Amino acid sequence: MKEDYKIERVKERINYIEDVLASVAAGDIDARINSEVEDDLSGIEAAIDLLIDDLTDELKQRKKMQKEVEEKLAKIQEQQKTIFQQQSDLLELSSPVSKVWDNVLILPVIGTLDSQRTQIMMENLLEKIVETGCTISILDITGVPTVDTQVANHLLKTVTAARLLGTECIISGISPAIAQTIVHLGIDLSSINTKATLQDAMIYAMKQNQLSENVKLHSLFADSDENEE
Amino acid sequence: MNIDLHEKRIPIIKIGNFLIVSIQVDMHDKLAIQLQSQILEEIEKTGAKGVLIDISVLEMVDSFIGRMLSGMATMASIMDASVVIVGMQPAVAITLVELGLEMPGVDTALNMEKGMEMLEKRLKDDDYKLY
Amino acid sequence: MLQLTTDSNWTELGKYIIKTEHDIVQVRQLIRVHAKEMNMGIIDQTRVTTAVSELLRNMYNYGGGGEVLVETGVVDDKNALIITCADEGSGIEDLDLAMSDGYTSGMGMGYGLPGAKRLVDRFEIKSEKNIGTTVRVMKWR
Repeated sequence: MKEDYKIERVKERINYIEDVLASVAAGDIDARINSEVEDDLSGIEAAIDLLIDDLTDELKQRKKMQKEVEEKLAKIQEQQKTIFQQQSDLLELSSPVSKVWDNVLILPVIGTLDSQRTQIMMENLLEKIVETGCTISILDITGVPTVDTQVANHLLKTVTAARLLGTECIISGISPAIAQTIVHLGIDLSSINTKATLQDAMIYAMKQNQLSENVKLHSLFADSDENEE
Repeated sequence: MNIDLHEKRIPIIKIGNFLIVSIQVDMHDKLAIQLQSQILEEIEKTGAKGVLIDISVLEMVDSFIGRMLSGMATMASIMDASVVIVGMQPAVAITLVELGLEMPGVDTALNMEKGMEMLEKRLKDDDYKLY
Repeated sequence: MLQLTTDSNWTELGKYIIKTEHDIVQVRQLIRVHAKEMNMGIIDQTRVTTAVSELLRNMYNYGGGGEVLVETGVVDDKNALIITCADEGSGIEDLDLAMSDGYTSGMGMGYGLPGAKRLVDRFEIKSEKNIGTTVRVMKWR
């Protein structure tokens, strides 16, 4: 009889241990057995409690580390975003398009041209052309040391696109090195109006301006002639 | 859903010696072809010497519409009328060049006013040649 | 329809059917909306819309219409707008020839496929005789 009772008690306690372990597994890390009696089983119970303590400590630490890593990652991503932003800002700043005369835009290019920068430059120039209504633009590449096939093609594309908008784009300041590269690469720039220096390009642009002014004046006089009759 | 093609006719306006066409809708291919013959018929009917085609609201010109426009210019010039494409958006110009459609031989102008000046100048030049 | 390899990480933005010329106009306008929603610049929007317009015309002229699937996802560490056009037409016999500049099989203008390829960042094509053609283009964002 007494034996049976003891076994019942032990079963109860083992069930309780199982319950605690189950709740720990489910995430309740504060659950403990906290046995009050002192006997053979209580040693095991205390050992399990200790084990749970160790486990939860480790778990907490890991969570903390994970949080730190995540925070750092977010910070890095934020920084990366800033870098990208600054990069694109820099690209835009490095190709200023300015109106220098009636009807004339100048885009001085300084430094090495890569495909991306040339692309942004082209977009800026074309947008500025439409915005200002200038029909002549000068792309001055005096400050460009070298070009490759891709960049030369982008320049060609810019001039063609400008023509499609109904304007003329002149390239000035082609250095001997660039002239050599362009011919060696087999790129045909013959359809493009090129000038030796920015000054030559400016003179050409002003002459073009005068020409169209003259035409306007001419048509004005022609109209008044008709009126007199 | 299916709109009658003729409902969407693009208006052609005649001012002086010139025709003015302003394309305000995203054209499908049939409408583009229809516009082409419509303009040519109008040139014949009115004896117009120039055509201004305003595409400033077009957000996209693909190879078909591009070909239609440059074909239009050639056809009109055989009929003794000059075509000027006016107001192309920068994005459209870049895309056309990248597509490989550089439209050589097609005259373009930044805006209506400049296009009109261009046509007037050409008409005057032709007059001088005669006398 | 011919399938191209896909990635389970891509999210579908829309699926459209091309049957009439009006569908072409409508779908290319929707493509621009998708591109805009992905914060593409005006020039990239125009590039992708124009490229798709070329593909849709091919699909309409040679494939008797078809299906357009618009997706977004990460490809090669880049955010991409992915557009897949599939038809059940007669297929392209010589892909290399169709992809060469200036080639046209009659109704086309010879700028369609190679032109579209130049306007996008990635271009895949699969075609089989009498089964159809599937073209996928991607534009990075």
